[in-house]
Amino acid sequence: MFASIFKKVALAGGMAVATMGTAAYAEYPEKPITMVIPFGAGGSHDLNARVITSVIPTYLNQAMIVRLTPGAGGQKGTQEVANAPADGYTLLFTHNYVDMLQQYVENVPYDPLTDFIPIARVNYAPMGVVVRADSPFETFEDLIAAAEAEPGSIDLSHSGNWGAFFVPAAQIMQARGVQFNLVPYQGGGPALQALLSGDADVTMGFPSTLSGQIEAGDVRILATAGEERMFDDVPTFAEVGVEGDIGFMHRVLVAPAGTPDDVVATLTVAFEQLVEDQTFTRMMGRLNETIELLDGPTYQAMREEQGVAYKALVDELTGQ
Amino acid sequence: MLEQFITGFGMAFRVDTFALMAAGLFGGMLVGALPGFTTLLAMAILLPISFFLEPIVGIPFLLGVYKGGIFGGSIPAILVSMPGTGAAVATSRDGYSLTKQGKSRKALDMALCSSVFGDTMSDMFTMVMIFPIAFLVMQFGPPELFAVLLLSLVIIAATSGKNPLKALVMMLFGLWLSFIGTDPLGGVERFTFGIFDLKSGIPLLPMLIGVFAIPEIANVVMKSDKVQKLAAVMGERLTFAEFRRCFRTICRSTVIGTGIGIIPGLGQVVAAMMGYSAAKNASDHPETFGEGELEGIAAAEAANNAVNGPTMVPLLTLGIPGDNVTAILLGAFVAQGLRPGPQLFEEQGATVFAILVAMVFANLLFLIIGYLSIPFFSRIVQIKTSVLVPVVIMFAFAGAYVFRSDNFDLIMLVAFGVFGLVARAGKFDVMPMVMGFILGPPMEYAFGQTMAMGNGEVMQFLFQERLGAIGVLLSIPVIGFMLWRRLNALPAEN
Repeated sequence: MFASIFKKVALAGGMAVATMGTAAYAEYPEKPITMVIPFGAGGSHDLNARVITSVIPTYLNQAMIVRLTPGAGGQKGTQEVANAPADGYTLLFTHNYVDMLQQYVENVPYDPLTDFIPIARVNYAPMGVVVRADSPFETFEDLIAAAEAEPGSIDLSHSGNWGAFFVPAAQIMQARGVQFNLVPYQGGGPALQALLSGDADVTMGFPSTLSGQIEAGDVRILATAGEERMFDDVPTFAEVGVEGDIGFMHRVLVAPAGTPDDVVATLTVAFEQLVEDQTFTRMMGRLNETIELLDGPTYQAMREEQGVAYKALVDELTGQ
Repeated sequence: MLEQFITGFGMAFRVDTFALMAAGLFGGMLVGALPGFTTLLAMAILLPISFFLEPIVGIPFLLGVYKGGIFGGSIPAILVSMPGTGAAVATSRDGYSLTKQGKSRKALDMALCSSVFGDTMSDMFTMVMIFPIAFLVMQFGPPELFAVLLLSLVIIAATSGKNPLKALVMMLFGLWLSFIGTDPLGGVERFTFGIFDLKSGIPLLPMLIGVFAIPEIANVVMKSDKVQKLAAVMGERLTFAEFRRCFRTICRSTVIGTGIGIIPGLGQVVAAMMGYSAAKNASDHPETFGEGELEGIAAAEAANNAVNGPTMVPLLTLGIPGDNVTAILLGAFVAQGLRPGPQLFEEQGATVFAILVAMVFANLLFLIIGYLSIPFFSRIVQIKTSVLVPVVIMFAFAGAYVFRSDNFDLIMLVAFGVFGLVARAGKFDVMPMVMGFILGPPMEYAFGQTMAMGNGEVMQFLFQERLGAIGVLLSIPVIGFMLWRRLNALPAEN
C-alpha cells in the first residue's frame, strides 16, 4: 500500500516513464518504447544506446527512451524486463555475460532462455591479450610458458569478476590449462592503468580502443579474439588453441519471451534499416564501435551455445 | 610546448565556444540542482550533440555541463538541506544553518566563489604540471588507495562530531550498511535476508535525502505555526572582507583537493571532507563549524572542485578514463577524432591546451552566471512554508525515485528519514555514518585487490613492494591520537 501511494506521488512529479503496456498492438508501436539498460550511466552500453535511440525513431515512428536501471550486477534491470508485459514496449539492452553467464554464478530471479528472446545483436567487440611494450613476454606462447613455469605468478588485471575481461581470461586459462592470478579493477580503464603502472603483468582489452597506446609504443597485443587476424603479425585465439565464441562482448537487445511475432518483425525491420542509416554509421564509427547486426533467431543459436560453454567454465572455476 | 600553449590559448577565444559553454554551465546547474538527476546522466544524454560540434566547441560544452552540475548540487544542499551527492554533504551542514539564519545568499555566494577559485587554481596547476602529475598517478595502486581511504575515515571520525566515540559508532554502522548486498569482489550475498531489492545494496540517494532533508522538513512542520518562512530574509551578498577571512581556508582546501584528485579512485567526497576537517582543525573556533560557518562552506567547496583538474590527467596523457565522467569525455574526444593517449600532445597539443584553457574560462564564465542566478535561487527561502514544504517533500520523493524508478528506494527514503529523526534525538551525528557508507565499498574493493595482488603472501608483498602504503597505514594511529588529544584539549568541544 505504501508503495502504491509513493508511486502516485512520483508520477505526479512527472518523473516516471510509464511502461505499462496495453494489449492493443494493432499498430505497434503506438507509444514510446522503453529500452532498459541494466548498467550505470556513461558506460559503453549507455553510449551505444544514446546513438541507437537518437536515430531509430526515424524508422519506428516512435521515440525510444533509455532507462538506466543499474544494480545487482545487471540483475535488477534484467528482472524488471523479465516481469514487464511482453508487448514490445519494454526491451532490454544487455550483453552476453550478464545475459547468459550470470545465471550460473548467482541465483538470478529469471531464466534467460525461457524469459527472453533476442531481437537484434547490434555489434560485438573482440578482445585482445595486452602486455606492456617492455614486457618480457614477446609472444602469447611466452606468456603461457611463464604461467606454466610458475602457476599464479602472473597478475592479470580485469574489469570485475565474471565481466567482459574476466571471462575470456578464464576461458584462455581453461583452454590452455594454465593459471593466472586474476586481480579485479573497477572497470577497463583502471585495469589498463594497472598494466601501465606495472601493478599487473597482463590485461585484456578491446584493440579498437587501444590504437593510441599501441601506436605510442606503450602496449603490445599478443593475441586477438576470433578466427580472422586483426593485425597481420598477431595470432588469433583460434591459432593459439583457444577456440569457440571466446573473447567477444555481444551487445544485444532482447525482449520478454512471448512478445508477438509482428512486434518482433517490426523491430527487426527497424534495426535492419537502422544499420544502413548514414547518421547512425557515422556516429557509431566516431565512437569506434563496429556494427555487426544479427537477427534474433541467428543470435538465439549462439546464446544456447554460450549457455553450455559458460556453465562448463563456471563449474570448472568454482570446482563443482 | 609553449608555442602549442599560445596557439591553444588563441583557439579557445571563440564566440561559439563561449556561448555553448555558457549554455552547458547554466543547463548543468539546473540539472544539478534537481535531486536525483545526476550530472553524469545529463552529460550522457547530451553527448551525441557534441558529436556534431567542433572539438573546441563540443568538449567545452560538456565540461560546462559538468562544472555547472557540481555547483548545482550545492544549491538544494544549502537551501533545503538536501544534498544530492556525497560531495555536497559537508556543504549542506553549514549552508542550511546559514539559510535558517537568513544568510542564504552569503552561503551560496561563498560556495560559488570558493568553487570557482578551487577549480581555477587546480586547472592552472594541472596545465603547468600535467606530466609530473601523470607520473604521480602511476604511483598509486590498490594498496595505497586502501591506506588513504582508511586514513580519511579515521580523520572524519575524529573531527566530525562533538563526541568522537559517537562519531565512530555511527561510522562503523555506516560501514556495516555498505556491506549489505552483493559482495563486490566475490559476488556473495551479505545481510540481504533473501530480499532481492537488497541484493544491489542500499541506495545512496534515498539515504542522503532521508537523513539530511527529512528531519529538517519535520522540524519545520512541527513548528509550522511559528515558521511562516524558512527565513525572513535571504540576506546580503558575500562581502570581500568575508571572502578574505576565508581565503587561507580556501587555499588550503584547494591544495588538499588537488592532491586528492591526483590519487585515482578517491574523488570529490573525500576531498570535501578532508578540506572541511582540515579547516576545522586549523580554526581557533572549531565549535562554530556546523552551526553556520562560512569557512566550512568555503573549505568543502574549494576542495571538492579542486579535484577536477588532476582527474583529467590520466585521460589526456594515457587515454584512460578513471571514472564515468571521464569515460563520457573519452567518448566525446574519440568522436572528435582526438585519440586521448600518449601521442595526443604531439599530434594535437594545441587543441588539448585550448580545451584546458577553455576549462579555466568556463570557471570565470560560471562566476558571472552563478552570481547572476543566485538571487533567484535564494528567493526560495521566502516562499511560505505552507507552499514550500509540500514542494520540497515532492522533490525528496521524486529525487529518490527517479534514479532507478524503484519503489523500494521510496521505502528506504522514509526509513532513513525516521532514522535521521531518531539519531538527531539521541544527538548522534549522521555525517560519519554517511561517510562510512560512501567510502566503505571503495575501501573494501581496494582491500580485496591488495589481497589478490599479494596472492597468499600479502605481508611479504606489501613490505617488499609497497612501503608507501605501509607508511600511510602506520601513520593512522598517530594522526588519530593527535586529533583526539587536540579535541580533548579544547573544552568547547566536549
